[in-house]
Amino acid sequence: MHGRPRKDPRPKDDAAKAAHLRELQAQLLHNHRNRTYTKEALASCSKLLEINPEVYTAWNYRKLALQQDLDGVTGPDAVKSAIEDELRIVEIALRTNPKSYAAWYHRKWVLGRRLMPVEFEREFRLLDLLLNMDQRNFHGWNYRRFVAKLKNVPEEEELKFTKKMIDINFSNYSAWHNRSALLSHLLKKKSQGFDSKKNTLTEEYELVHDALFTDQSDQSGWFYHLWLLDRTVCLDYPQLISSWPTHKSDLILSKSNKIDGCQLFPSSNSSSFSLLHTGTFPIILYFDKAVKNIDSSTVTVSSVFVTNEDLNWRPLSTNNSGEACCWVTFLTVPEENCSSSTSYPVEVCLDRYKDIVSSDVSDCKNPSKFTFTVTFRSHSLEQTSKESVKENVVWSYVDQCNPQESSCLLSFDQLSINEDHAEEGFKWNLQTLSNEIELFREFNDEDSKFVKLTLARLLVAHDLMVPNGSHNQIKTHSGEVLTLYDDLMKLDPSHKRYYEDEQSVVLMDQLTSDKDSLTKHFWQFDEPTSSSFHHQYCLRLNELSLTRIGSVKNILWVQMLDLSHNKLRSVEGLEALQLLACLSLGNNQISSFTALEPLKPLSSLRVLDVSFNMIGAHAIDTTRYLCSSPLSHTLDAKQLDVGYEKENTEVRDHWEVASLFRALRLTQLDIKGNTVLNEKFSALAIELLPSLKWLDGKRVR
Amino acid sequence: MRSSSFYASYQTQHQAKGKAKARLMPLRIAHRRSAAPKTKDRRTRATTTRREARREAAAGRCSSSGLPRSGSSTPMESSPTRSSSSSLSLPPSPSDRQGRLTTTQLEQLRVEQEVYGIYRLFHGVAPHTRSFMVELWRDKHIEFLARGLKQLGPSYHVLDANRPWLCYWIIHSITLMGESVNSELEDNVVQFLSHCEDKNGGYGGGPGQMPHLATTYAAVNTLITLGSEMSLSSIHRENMLKFLLQMKDSSGAFRMHNGGEIDVRACYTAISVASILNVLDDELVTDLGNYILSCQTYEGGIAGEPGSEAHGGYTFCGLATMILINEVDKLDLPSLVDWVASRQGVECGFQGRVNKLVDGCYSFWQGGVLALAQRLLPIVHKQLESSFISGVQASAECKKSCNFTAGETGQDENLCRAGTSHPDNEGEKLSDFGFSSIGRQTECGPLFHSIALQQYILLCSQVLEGGFRDKPGKQRDFYHSCYCLSGLSVSQYSWSKDDGEPPLTSAVLGPYTNLLEPVHPLYNVVLHKYYKSHEFFSTL
Repeated sequence: MHGRPRKDPRPKDDAAKAAHLRELQAQLLHNHRNRTYTKEALASCSKLLEINPEVYTAWNYRKLALQQDLDGVTGPDAVKSAIEDELRIVEIALRTNPKSYAAWYHRKWVLGRRLMPVEFEREFRLLDLLLNMDQRNFHGWNYRRFVAKLKNVPEEEELKFTKKMIDINFSNYSAWHNRSALLSHLLKKKSQGFDSKKNTLTEEYELVHDALFTDQSDQSGWFYHLWLLDRTVCLDYPQLISSWPTHKSDLILSKSNKIDGCQLFPSSNSSSFSLLHTGTFPIILYFDKAVKNIDSSTVTVSSVFVTNEDLNWRPLSTNNSGEACCWVTFLTVPEENCSSSTSYPVEVCLDRYKDIVSSDVSDCKNPSKFTFTVTFRSHSLEQTSKESVKENVVWSYVDQCNPQESSCLLSFDQLSINEDHAEEGFKWNLQTLSNEIELFREFNDEDSKFVKLTLARLLVAHDLMVPNGSHNQIKTHSGEVLTLYDDLMKLDPSHKRYYEDEQSVVLMDQLTSDKDSLTKHFWQFDEPTSSSFHHQYCLRLNELSLTRIGSVKNILWVQMLDLSHNKLRSVEGLEALQLLACLSLGNNQISSFTALEPLKPLSSLRVLDVSFNMIGAHAIDTTRYLCSSPLSHTLDAKQLDVGYEKENTEVRDHWEVASLFRALRLTQLDIKGNTVLNEKFSALAIELLPSLKWLDGKRVR
Repeated sequence: MRSSSFYASYQTQHQAKGKAKARLMPLRIAHRRSAAPKTKDRRTRATTTRREARREAAAGRCSSSGLPRSGSSTPMESSPTRSSSSSLSLPPSPSDRQGRLTTTQLEQLRVEQEVYGIYRLFHGVAPHTRSFMVELWRDKHIEFLARGLKQLGPSYHVLDANRPWLCYWIIHSITLMGESVNSELEDNVVQFLSHCEDKNGGYGGGPGQMPHLATTYAAVNTLITLGSEMSLSSIHRENMLKFLLQMKDSSGAFRMHNGGEIDVRACYTAISVASILNVLDDELVTDLGNYILSCQTYEGGIAGEPGSEAHGGYTFCGLATMILINEVDKLDLPSLVDWVASRQGVECGFQGRVNKLVDGCYSFWQGGVLALAQRLLPIVHKQLESSFISGVQASAECKKSCNFTAGETGQDENLCRAGTSHPDNEGEKLSDFGFSSIGRQTECGPLFHSIALQQYILLCSQVLEGGFRDKPGKQRDFYHSCYCLSGLSVSQYSWSKDDGEPPLTSAVLGPYTNLLEPVHPLYNVVLHKYYKSHEFFSTL
């Protein structure tokens, strides 16, 4: 549609020309109707197309004529000449309008019939001519792909052509794009010369640097660089980067038949964990990218408690794509037949990596596995448990945690699955990233936001690739990245929120990446406020200006988390914290209940503080945009109670609240300081949360 | 740039949305040019020797790092043929400083300078003159357009195979400005288009020409825009469906015409026509969504055909098609929105592809995509709500609850023509998706800088003698008039909560009399004309 009206370059006598054209057009339609395919008729048709290549009827007429012509003639010369005519007319037409859909298609049609050997030289010459006139003509690029396929030109050759075009004009994004498409394909096929991703990408980096540093404000090179970076950090297979329980850990379970809440708060012993009300405990798998098809056929759990086939794995994400970074299953522990003196080994083995990736992968990785043991502690929690229900949790603390005391809390025994075979593969990626980092650092003296942003992305990518467990040897770059984002916010305030989000992720990663920094954020609850939380430790990540949640891979075991006094607008990511019992999100910028939807899968959550947020402050709920795919953002209708909502108009007005609260089993909710709060709402909350005991510090049941 | 704080809020809002997902890669944030003149200055005083070396290297087209490269990749030699006419775009001489810039960059600089010149002038003048400058010259435009309908200039001869397009561009533009053509002219147009209609369905580019999907789309939209009973009833819907089915390829996509090319444009025009005429059925939709999906590139936008690069016009066509066939959830919407939003550049208008020049017509193609995206979210909201309120009966069957259904369950029953291949859509007829996508509240503001876009259209695309153009220095034409005005309408209403609700004065750049009629963004026909036709065709 676009680019149709094209001025004739040599205006003649307009009226005469128009009359001539009308005449030609009339002749064409007449001949077409009468199926006249004489030489004269075809000549008149050619004249018409020469002036106006867009007359698609004329092209179709020519197709019919050619077909009939070929039926009549024999001998290669006649065929050749007929085809020659068609090709010539297309060329003339393209001279008039190089963007004529109909003309390009006619040529494809003629050549595609392969009536005679295609003179490829000529096709490429034509293409060179046209792509020289307009390097971005997508008809030309499409036609080039067509011809290359017709001739079976190796993709390597086409790659050289893109290089040639880039050398002529490095701003030519069409050439860069075609290059990325060709390379993706070649790398996937592992064609000769492209079997090593290393060598290929290294050369590409060199190529793009020329463009980037010649003019830092040119868009094309940066796009290509991003694509390269993506190829560099994107491993062919997903990796299990964290789990709960962790490898070689000893899990001590307190068995209890008590229902609900009371036993869920963590005991002082780190590795111990109280059984959920259903007599189950979770196994959480955390991958570096979203995977699918986690089920008993791809993951084998060997234990005495349950047969593997009975396990039901669930993706933890707010959309229904069936893909998630984080997956959970619940292991049911039989009521009686476990002795408290034995430790039962559990082995989790991912044996079919091939089936859990979305893209097709040729590399099959060795299986990764981890093991842990389970021991039961029969003496359970005593009297305190009962009281904790009645206790209103107040988020106040006496002191930072004593490092000695906390040491047992933290288990950084990361999965050691990758160290043997994967590290070798990482070496190149890391080296490449380091080279890029060095290069961009050198250019960071200027106030170029592109350089700064790219450098920040490179550093983050680098830190992510550093093999687990070796974080002590290789210094992380979080500090530098944080500074870069600070600079970017000043330099480019119109993207401030984006930079804030990116910074939050880095900051959170920095704080949780090692024991020392994490310990500083451990606080002991203030004893007098809550006897049941004696010796309870809470992870406090507050007053950090976090705007969103970063990676939680290192804090999967957290049961009490205080994120108050940040700037959180989204809590996506928290859905992975399956052990979380107490959560404070007070004094943040959460603007709706929709934003809290990631909390829905948290079956152990009992205490939630969302006081002093902005829920209800804005009529417009922008949170819907925050989910990864708004349209797959869905409500599980099965969780909803039939008949209930009909009688209650309040629910109708607050259906989002209902859908959230229905999924939660809260005993305590703090929601004061939000616009949405009024008496009606309180009543609704109490009604929707049957287990609720405390609302805004007041006993309700 | 005007109202930069506003600009900031749009940007940040958008970015926060796109990036909330915890993903490092791929990051598709736009690499907007920072203020270009400044950059150039910096380039000249740059002294880093390495940078000099690199620049030399790039200009001289040789390896920069000293690492040996494979000899075969030596540029200019590997090419099989080197046309004699290639001198047009030979690399500029490195001795010339400007010559260090690529032709693309030189052109971009020229456009920026031209546009900045206009904006500088605009900001330098007294406020009342400023208001005068951003006035929409309705009378002039009407004059230009009406003249086109009666008598075309000879330079339009190339459009002989596109005459329904001319009708559509002109009549849609006139209707956008709240005017209508007189009844005699209307009759003439209806009659003319009837001559273009093929006896077996579909419209050709002129009388006697074979039917073609693009001209069919233009003809149908024209007739709907004219809106009279005669005009609407002149369309032979049953033949139309036959024609559309004939154009359906086994791959699921559509051909432009018998023996013609297959692309996303063909898919959109076919589906738009079928939907607006209320003849959309399962057979037309089969496998189409997968074809469109195969055209979405890693950049985020949609290409004309698989393997090509993302393009604004096709992105509109692809997204609108997916919405109309209720498969929009298949697309990667966040990256699509990212890509499109980032195509609005420092010139305030949109570019069509990465590193191309700004062009007024993308005000609609790209702006329209964002207007559609803005509407997708409330529908999801509504759908979630209704699935909650109206109970659980859906949940038993609803495997794919992400349906783009309207959820107006009451009225669906009699409309229901249950498609067996779409059990999920039961209760909603395929043609209804075009209708249900509008007429309800949008919950958020525009996903682009709507005032800036209006500024580009009114100051840079508007031709004082009437009509609109691609960019300063280009000639006006009807195509650009149509899509600049459509884009202007989309941006004026982008802050309205309800479709068609008059916007606040602050949402309209210039005097409030600039306000155009609202359009239905899926079909690009004026909204009240659409309603009228919907009523007409839904009872047939």
